[in-house]
Amino acid sequence: MDGIHDLGGEHGFGLVKPTADEPPFKHDWEGRMLGIVRAISRPRDWNVDKFRFTREQLPPVEYLTRPYFDQWYRSYAAMLLGSGLATAEELASGRSTHSVTGLARPMSAAEVATLRTATARFDRDYPGQPRFAVADKVRASLTAHSGHTRLPRYARGHAGIVVAFHGAHVVPDENSQGRSIAEPLYTVAFALGELFPEQTDIGDKVHLDLWERYLEPVAPS
Amino acid sequence: MTAYDPKHAAEHHDEIHSHVPSDPALRVKALESLLVEKGLVDSGAIDAWLEIYRDQVGPKVGARVVARAWNDVAYKARLLADGTTAIKELGIQDGWAVGHLKVVENTDQVHNLVVCTLCSCYPHGVLGMSPSWYKKEAYRSRAVREPRAVLAEFGVKLPTHVTVNIWDSTAELRYLVLPQRPSGTEGWTENQLAAIVTRDSMIGTERELPTTSTGG
Repeated sequence: MDGIHDLGGEHGFGLVKPTADEPPFKHDWEGRMLGIVRAISRPRDWNVDKFRFTREQLPPVEYLTRPYFDQWYRSYAAMLLGSGLATAEELASGRSTHSVTGLARPMSAAEVATLRTATARFDRDYPGQPRFAVADKVRASLTAHSGHTRLPRYARGHAGIVVAFHGAHVVPDENSQGRSIAEPLYTVAFALGELFPEQTDIGDKVHLDLWERYLEPVAPS
Repeated sequence: MTAYDPKHAAEHHDEIHSHVPSDPALRVKALESLLVEKGLVDSGAIDAWLEIYRDQVGPKVGARVVARAWNDVAYKARLLADGTTAIKELGIQDGWAVGHLKVVENTDQVHNLVVCTLCSCYPHGVLGMSPSWYKKEAYRSRAVREPRAVLAEFGVKLPTHVTVNIWDSTAELRYLVLPQRPSGTEGWTENQLAAIVTRDSMIGTERELPTTSTGG
């Protein structure tokens, strides 16, 4: 979706405010929210792309103004609502008025010691042949859709060079709709001046990890 | 329980907004109580995760990786080839967002800068929680458009003969910058080296590390 979350290249957000050192969580509730997200017994059909797509649909004013972990809260609340696991009234009161069945019991404190080592991987076996190879010139597609995608607006229509191939990874556009489909994933380098012509081209490059469906071949000139 | 279709998330957001308390601390407290009552979460497990990412996992983990790579060229080669496997050699166990870890090396000619323009992807297992500016609009919008101006705001002034490689984390690969080893650190132990490696140098918003060792 073309939404407020797609911030690359946008103007008007002012200077970056570096911080030398800051606590991992500014407020206790932020750490609790992180803990809830890591510890919750989740339906099998939730995944990271559904989470991201849910967050992207926060009203733009809220996306830009709410604290980061409050956006996590809003997204998980929306997912609980959408899965029929909680009602808005329950979320408001903190009291359960209907019980949930069909989900595994949640992890215990003791189990966290093992589960912290779990690593999610997104590469999958792929029977087909990759369409592109390292050093190929490609163009990022202009095609957009209203669902979740990881092709940022600022790259669309621009040409770059494939610099790495990573095998097939689960496609976010599909995964966010509950379809676990893998496709070749490439790292593509774009000259900064190709993406943003006002920038003097002195060799700086922006690299994006892009799925095959986001790319079109460019005939050698 | 019904299948979750995020196409309707905007409506869910509206419904939640009109119901829940306005104070985020109260909202999260109500959420935890509700989930405990429904048997979907164990408060002890929340405590355990919070403790891990507040007290145990942070930039010090990534600093150990950098220090080893500086002191061991064979390790550095393995790290650059496959970050996910190489960090396990050091006994680094935390797996959050390091399943496809790509380490990119700074040199005299190249400076690397990591961003996530679409959300705030970050290699949590080696760097812990991300700094606030990394998640804010100014950094996410500008790092890919005017990287040298952004770097200057961090005090990094790059000469034009140094190329900037920006890495926008659009897939599940996560990027960690291997900063350059400062001169004057020959013969230092790994602990001494790790003590000078900063969070920002592994994101790429710092380039020249000071050689005032605090480790031992």
